[in-house]
Parts: sequence; C-alpha cells; structure tokens
Amino acid sequence: MSVAETAFVETQAPAPAPKPNKVKPRRFLLPLLLPAVILLALLSIYPLGWLIYSSFHSVSLAPGAPQEWVGGDNWSRMIKDPLYWHSWGILAKYSIVSMALEVGLGTLLAVLLNRSKHEKVLVTLMLMPMMMAPVVAGLLWQYLYNGTFGWYFWFLESVGLLHGGTILGDPSLALWAIVVVDVWEWTPLVALIVLSGLKLVPKDQMEASWMDGAGPVRSFFQVALPSIKASLIIAVLLRFMDNIRIIDHFIALTGGGPANSTKVLPLFLYEQSFSFFDLGYGSTIALTLLLVTILLGKFVVTSFEEREPKRLKDEGEVL
Amino acid sequence: MTSSVLTQAQTDEEEVSPGPAIDMRDQVVKGQGSRWSGIVISGFIALYVIFTLIPFFIMLTTALKPAGEALNLPATGDWGGALKKLFVFTPTFEHFSSLFSQNNFSKYLLNSVLAAVGSAVISVVFGTTAAYAISRGRFRGKGDLYFWIISTRMAPVVAVTVPLYAIFKNLGLLNTIPGLVLAYTVFNLPFAIWILKGFFDAVPYDIEEAYMVDGHSRWQALLKIVPLVVPGLAAVLVLCILLAWNDYIFAAVMGGESAKTLPVATQGLKSASGIDWGQIMAAGTVTVAPMLLLGIVIRKYMVQGLTMGAVKQ
Repeated sequence: MSVAETAFVETQAPAPAPKPNKVKPRRFLLPLLLPAVILLALLSIYPLGWLIYSSFHSVSLAPGAPQEWVGGDNWSRMIKDPLYWHSWGILAKYSIVSMALEVGLGTLLAVLLNRSKHEKVLVTLMLMPMMMAPVVAGLLWQYLYNGTFGWYFWFLESVGLLHGGTILGDPSLALWAIVVVDVWEWTPLVALIVLSGLKLVPKDQMEASWMDGAGPVRSFFQVALPSIKASLIIAVLLRFMDNIRIIDHFIALTGGGPANSTKVLPLFLYEQSFSFFDLGYGSTIALTLLLVTILLGKFVVTSFEEREPKRLKDEGEVL
Repeated sequence: MTSSVLTQAQTDEEEVSPGPAIDMRDQVVKGQGSRWSGIVISGFIALYVIFTLIPFFIMLTTALKPAGEALNLPATGDWGGALKKLFVFTPTFEHFSSLFSQNNFSKYLLNSVLAAVGSAVISVVFGTTAAYAISRGRFRGKGDLYFWIISTRMAPVVAVTVPLYAIFKNLGLLNTIPGLVLAYTVFNLPFAIWILKGFFDAVPYDIEEAYMVDGHSRWQALLKIVPLVVPGLAAVLVLCILLAWNDYIFAAVMGGESAKTLPVATQGLKSASGIDWGQIMAAGTVTVAPMLLLGIVIRKYMVQGLTMGAVKQ
C-alpha cells in the first residue's frame, strides 16, 4: 500500500458495525432530518409540480388573468421552434470548447504545480477568479474587450491579431470571447481537481515508468492518466453542470447577441420567461433543461461514489 | 514529506541512475531538473498567474483613476505608453464615494449582506441536523433522498426561477429580502447537507458510542462531537454566503428595487444613462473584495466546497 493510500485510510477511519442502542434511532434522527427535508420539498417539489402544470397552460401574470389549458401547445411549439434547437447547439458548442480548453490547460497546470515549491501561494492566487461574482466578471471582461478603451482589445490590436472591428459585436467571435472568460474563471478549478488526483498517483510507479525508458509524456499517459481519470470526469461533469446552471457571463457580456450567436439554452429560457413573460412556454423549456440536469446528476453521483473510499455497508443505524 | 527525505531520495537516485543525470523526469518527479526545463515551466506558470491577475489589477486601477483618464488608451503598439498608463496615475476615490452618495450602494450592500447571511444561517442550521442524520442513519431510500438533495443543488438557476417567481408573486414574497433568503436556500441547503455529511462521515461513530456508554444521552453525545466539525461548519457558512452573494439571476428577477443586491446594482449601472466604466469597476470592487477576503480565510475548504466535496485538500 502506498503512502498516499495509507494517509487516506487514516483520515477516513471506517466506523465499526452498529451496536445496540438505548433509544430508538428513529425517534432521534428523524426530527433532525425532517425540517431540512420539508423545507427542501417546499422549495423544489412544489415548484416542479408548478412547472409541469404550467407547461400545459397559458400562464399570464396579469392580476386575475385565468390560466388557460392549452394541452400540448407549448410542447409542440417548442419542438417546432428553430431558436430552441439553435440554443441547444450553442450551449453544446460553448460547453465542449470551454471544457476541452479547461481540461487541457488545467491538467497541464496541475502537472506543473504538483511539484512546485510555491504550490500554496500559486493555488491561492489561482483561486481568486472563482470568488468573483460571475456577472461582475462578465462586466469586467466586457470592459477589457471594449473596442475603444479595452486593454485586451488594445493588446490584441498591438500584437496584430485584430484590425479594428469589435470582439463582442462580431457573431463569429463573440461566443469564443465568452469561452475565454469561462476559461479564465474556471480553469484553476479543473487544475485543482486534477491536482488532487495527481497526489494519489503512487510516486514509485511514476519513477519505475521512467526507469523503463518511457519519456515524461508517455509516463503521464500510461501511469498518471488512469489514476486521474476519475478526477477528470468529475471536473468535466461539474463544469458542464455549471454551464447549464449559470448564465451570468452571457447576460453581462452579450445578452445573447449579436444575431443570437451567443444565445445558449438557459438564456433563451430566461428571455422567454422574464422578457416576454411567457411562463407557460418557459416552464416547458425549463422542464427539458431539468431533465438533462437530472440525467447528468445521476452521472455525477455515480462518479463521486466511485472516487469515495468504499465505506462499510453496515455503518450507522437503521432508521 | 520532509526535505531530508527528499534529499535522501535524490542522492540515491543519482548513484544508481544511468544515463544523463538531469532530465525531464527529475523535474516532474522531484521538482528539479535541468535549468532550461525549469525556466520554461516557471515561465509558463508565471504567465498563467499574470493572466489570472490582470483583470483584477485593471478593475482596481480603473476604479481608482479619475473619470476620463482610464478611458484614454495609448496608440496601438505604443508599449511604453501603455506601461506608463497602467502604473502611473493619481488615485482618487470619487467613484467609490459617488456609489454610496448618489447610487444608494449602502442599501444594496446591506441587502446583499442580509440575503446572503440569512440564507447561509438557515442552510447551515438545518443542513447540520440533516447531514448528521444522513451520515449516521441507515434507512431505505437513503440513496434516493441523497440524489434528490444533490439534484436540487444542480438545477439550473433559471429553471428554478420560473416557478419560484410565480409562487413568490402569489405569496407576496417578490421584492423582499425573505423571498431572496428562501430562494438562496434552494441551492444553499442541499449544498450544506452534501458537504457537511462529508465532515460527519469523517468523525468516527465510536466517539458518540463511547459517550453513550458513559451514560450520556444521544443529544449530549451529538453535542460532544460538534466541536470536531466546527471548522467545517464555519467554512460551509462562508461558502453559502459566497454562493448567495455572487448570485445574479434570482436577485435580478425577484429582488426588484427594494431587495436589490450588489451584483444586480453593478450590472444596473450599465444601462443607466451611458456607461461610466470607472464607476462600474468601483462597484465591481465593492462586490468582489469582501468575498476575496472571506475566500482566502477559508482557502483550505474553498476547493472542497467548489467541487461539491469531490476534492479534499
């Protein structure tokens, strides 16, 4: 057993098999559990019911306006709506590209940070963007990209990559500009997740691989990569989840324009619901988005459990 | 690992290893190697850190520059002028003071604090009890309960906002701080349960059993182990504050003017009569600075929180 594994077991001491208890656990644990569960049910199951109900109604927010049953109208409208499918496409494009960049750059950073003497300081500095409110990050980058007084625009022009024009006003550039913001804010998170995986790679294995004549790159793919695969999956899932969850960058930077080129699905939903106040149609779109989230969530939970050390099955008490 | 062990391993290596004494593998295995690979690696890391920090630097300096001066960039390709422009200026606090004197930011700041702290406290209190019960209990449907809790945390903010908006409208909770507190609890409570369960799992059940054998009641045994998770509780409280503080969508849709928070107010400066970037950057600094400080205080738990506990540092 390697050093890393031993350390892990020490901190995660498994609980022993349950012993007879004096008070019935049910009477003790249930009151502890219920308040949170009831609160969460009120805030999630009731709204979910409302969503399903509204997706079959025409919902107007005018006071006293009746909610009309419209059957499957919202659903068939959604399926026929080219903008709906277009926004899925943009979301997929955005997520895949930003994730590929974040995973690539993040893994590289993690490998380099792994043995750095200044790991603590560097990690702290790299954490900073993640603490910034995404909408503020969006505003800040909108300023940096600005064609007249943005420093990044000035820099790109000065090195000859741009010749006038705009960044965020150009339908072929805007989405990639937002990808860069996402990469700036979240690559460090991917790096830190991978770093935690790298710490579990047995060092002697790494060295043995090098002794056998494999270069650093081949050793990385043969020895380190299988060990950090679980970390990479978690990083990708978490990032994808957040790309669906948070649209603040888009709202601050482009609002979906120019020419819908940055209209990701959650932004499309936001617009239908809170610019046009078409909550019935909004509910329909929201349900499809939730469905995808739940499927993803299933993957997340499974991959988290795979990485957790196996706990004894009979730990704790029967409720 | 201590440095002596490292030195020891290193000398061993030098004795047995054939071929070139210095190559890439030393760099990656032991953190030292040829000077050139070291320089390339340090250079790359340095560039990345600069890339990370530049936006912060520009935000702060733009906020501190007198109106007009920030918006006046040197000619394209004038690198010397750029350096001078970036570092030489007379700082002024006019943007910060006008935020508070003319733009009502003291009220928005208070709203942000109330909404974030309110939901963080509720989430940590109910989250602690629930996490303890989930960690210690064994019951049918536990997996499903757990999955439901985590998917609530993962639900897209906009998809949650649609029904909550309509429900809160009927209940009269729109444009109120309690409404925002409840909305933030939607994602903070499952988050707190998820992370805190991890902390309770790390406390061996033996400890409570020992107390119970000694004649303490269950409640006393629970209270006895609370000190062991207090650092975790504090970290989760801070993380919940951070998540709620940084929210935009909920507050933009449900906060209105009377429960406007800092991120919404900052974005709102953009649409009002032209864009005063100095002021927006000042507002951004006011929004971000408290979270940076809090984040650095709980640095150790930051990654654990942001990765939903997948990474423990």
